Amino acid sequence: MKCDSCGKKIATVHLTEIVGTEKKEKHLCEECAHNVTNHFPKAPSPSDILTSIINQVSPEIEEMSKTTCPVCGISYLEFRSQGRLGCPMDYDVFQKGLLPLIERMHGSSQHVGKVPANASEEVIKKNELIQLRKELNKAVEKEDYEMAAEIRDKIYAFSGNIDNGD
Amino acid sequence: MEIKDLSDKTGEWLRGTGKESDIVISSRIRLARNVTGFPFLLRASLRQRKEVEALLKEAIINSDITKELSYINLNTVTTIDKLFLVERHLISKEHADGDGERGVAFGKTETISLMINEEDHLRIQVIRAGLELKNTWTVIDEIDNCLSQKLSFAYSSKFGYLTACPTNVGTGMRASVMLHLPALGMTKHIDKVFNAVGKLGLVVRGLYGEGTKVSGDLYQISNQFTLGKTESEILAIIESVIPRITSYERMARKALVLESKEQLEDRIWRSYGMLKAARMITSEEILQLLSQVRMGVNLGLINDIEMKTLNELFILTLPGHLQKLQGCELDSTQRNIIRASFVRKRLEDL
Repeated sequence: MKCDSCGKKIATVHLTEIVGTEKKEKHLCEECAHNVTNHFPKAPSPSDILTSIINQVSPEIEEMSKTTCPVCGISYLEFRSQGRLGCPMDYDVFQKGLLPLIERMHGSSQHVGKVPANASEEVIKKNELIQLRKELNKAVEKEDYEMAAEIRDKIYAFSGNIDNGD
Repeated sequence: MEIKDLSDKTGEWLRGTGKESDIVISSRIRLARNVTGFPFLLRASLRQRKEVEALLKEAIINSDITKELSYINLNTVTTIDKLFLVERHLISKEHADGDGERGVAFGKTETISLMINEEDHLRIQVIRAGLELKNTWTVIDEIDNCLSQKLSFAYSSKFGYLTACPTNVGTGMRASVMLHLPALGMTKHIDKVFNAVGKLGLVVRGLYGEGTKVSGDLYQISNQFTLGKTESEILAIIESVIPRITSYERMARKALVLESKEQLEDRIWRSYGMLKAARMITSEEILQLLSQVRMGVNLGLINDIEMKTLNELFILTLPGHLQKLQGCELDSTQRNIIRASFVRKRLEDL
């Protein structure tokens, strides 16, 4: 049997494709089969994604280009070319440039997950408050007003004198 | 324990047990953490790197994390040893290729591993067999809590755990599930899986994570985002999508049996025959052969080989493992010969 694709070489690879209930058979030579089966796209790595996002938000870079971290000495431009930050303080120093990047990368710029076991009580409360607000929005979206009222009461009870930062 | 004591066995996560273990090989979670008071590794001096290593090593050894914890300083081991540890998923490729003071601590069952001075100061990893994300999370959460009693991790209430790369910030958590999807590959429906998981903010990668190619029909599905959702919410997204992929794979297998039973069986039995008789097998070829035979076992065609044996062969026949087993460096021709004889022996011993 000759190859369906090039019609020259002998078909040694037999592919079956099922679309809905329809079955399609393809008989290919090794070379053509290689071209067909190697179409699996390479997943972009997080750093590839980062670089492409950084390139999309270049206006921010203009403004940030003169900023350097006083703690570790890395400049925003160095971060931009390497994709790695120099120290935890950079999240503060470069916040203006980082926020749009982080927003695009994660679809959010507010942590709601785990709080370290040894975090101060204020940090723990702050995070619980953020989580409660998120739940409140969800409840309102679902029009579950009973639940929303319950969460709102919790937030009132919780807030006390904490500065919630937003 | 030394590296040589590992080479004739494998980690517990290859047992072929757990939920959906016909298709799901393993569930893995890793957490990225950095110690406060030190710059990230990019800006750390040699002395600071050393200090971070000493600090973390001490905290890990003095915590009751797991039984019989081994510590390996990667600066003092050979290239083959590093390759061997990568193949076992105890360290990442970046960790192996890095430089300066760095190391890895892991437990006897190889379920838990703690990488020091990888991209972040600390990467905690837990792997289990089958679809077991919830249990895996319980274990890793406990280790993280245990270590944060002794160490202070860089954290802000806005951005969560602070990491060297902003792609990991927040939870610092990457959860991934390794799947064996030969029928979806064969029927080329795998692209649909690709598109569907992409819409949920998940990504598909090859056997060794970031940037590695897909081989042996093994795919890793993991979360792309790490911020804005809780750890449980991220895990729930992955847990909800996996059963849909596994049932899709089972459907594709059924369709193959129904539509082209003879071709499928021929392919599977030929692969089994090759494994039992071939004298030279390349690393690429063996993954394909093992993949076919694994599906043959799942379909009930082949009954004289255990899933555990097959899962193990995926790892034991890799270049680093073969060279470790022989105790010397081998060129690719020598490896192909030894690989074939190793597999023949394993299958004869059944």
